[in-house]
Amino acid sequence: MSEPPSTALTVDELRQLPEPQLRKLELQIARKYSTRFPWEIVVWAFGNLVCWLALWPLVLSGTIPLWLGFIVATLNMSLVYLPTHDAQHDIIARPGQKLRWLNEAVGHATSWMIIYPYQVLRISHLDHHRHTNNLELDVDITSHAPNAWAAIWGSIRQRQPDAKRNQDYLASLMRAGREDLILVVVAYRLTFIAILGALAWNGFALEALLLWWLPYQIAMTYLIFFLSWAPHSPGMSEGRYRNTKSWKSKVGAIGSMWMEYHTVHHLHPYIPLLNTPAAYREMRPILEARDCELGGR
Amino acid sequence: MERLLKLIIAVLPLIFAFAFLVPVIAQGMDAIGLSAPFGLSTLTFALIIGGGWGLIAQIRGRWI
Repeated sequence: MSEPPSTALTVDELRQLPEPQLRKLELQIARKYSTRFPWEIVVWAFGNLVCWLALWPLVLSGTIPLWLGFIVATLNMSLVYLPTHDAQHDIIARPGQKLRWLNEAVGHATSWMIIYPYQVLRISHLDHHRHTNNLELDVDITSHAPNAWAAIWGSIRQRQPDAKRNQDYLASLMRAGREDLILVVVAYRLTFIAILGALAWNGFALEALLLWWLPYQIAMTYLIFFLSWAPHSPGMSEGRYRNTKSWKSKVGAIGSMWMEYHTVHHLHPYIPLLNTPAAYREMRPILEARDCELGGR
Repeated sequence: MERLLKLIIAVLPLIFAFAFLVPVIAQGMDAIGLSAPFGLSTLTFALIIGGGWGLIAQIRGRWI
């Protein structure tokens, strides 16, 4: 006998279902939205990379003004993370699949722009999924803050040399047995400073500042705000249906980079980012039956 | 190797200050036509400000 579609049942009826049946309905919806190849995220990843790289000759040759380059570079830096995020979750292709190389290419091609090795982002982010909101083990716990301004300040503070976030990422690599990646992290940092320094001492300090360093800082603040603080703080606890929330963002779904539907991502991280809104809408009665925090979304 | 690495990491704020912050301050001042006080060149002034800030960051473990 086939299961009735979840939308045919009311929230109260869903609440009466036994847990295995509710879980089965949830999984049916998740699988429905996880089979499509996410070609948009691949175009996004490489398009964004090419656009940012093109800014350098365009600005240095005087074809476009530096202020315009700065605005575009800030957008580019803000758009870097989500393609690598899909790659971290093997969404483009899983190990052993024909397009696995593309998954890894997207991950590597994007993450270096924000000065992180792809492997480090993957290990630490999967650790975040395993231990979401755990005070000791969640690598992103330092993004928790009581309000938006505290979150922005905290994000800047956690990029300082003495920040706890650095130690949390280090601990995550140690737990994964990947101490070897610490050297890669240091190499990325030193290379970043070396490139900035080489540009700066050759007369291009403002270009280096406004096409990379400052856009990177602004983008990291924006990304941590919407991808980490907003869905997990304040007041979220641990547990599969309690560790993240959905909400209606003042800047809309695109402005918040689809994080309004973060509940679906944490429950089913194999669903491509751009499929999460549709999956959320179909899964919503089940999430409501499970008393997830949905914040009017 | 490990010792060298730890040493480099330990002085990263100073490296950043002299590699990047100093020329940014100097070229930033030149770009907006700001001259350094006490008859200093913009680069000397930037070395004092950028280097000093880097030293403070090095000691305190934070830039701001």
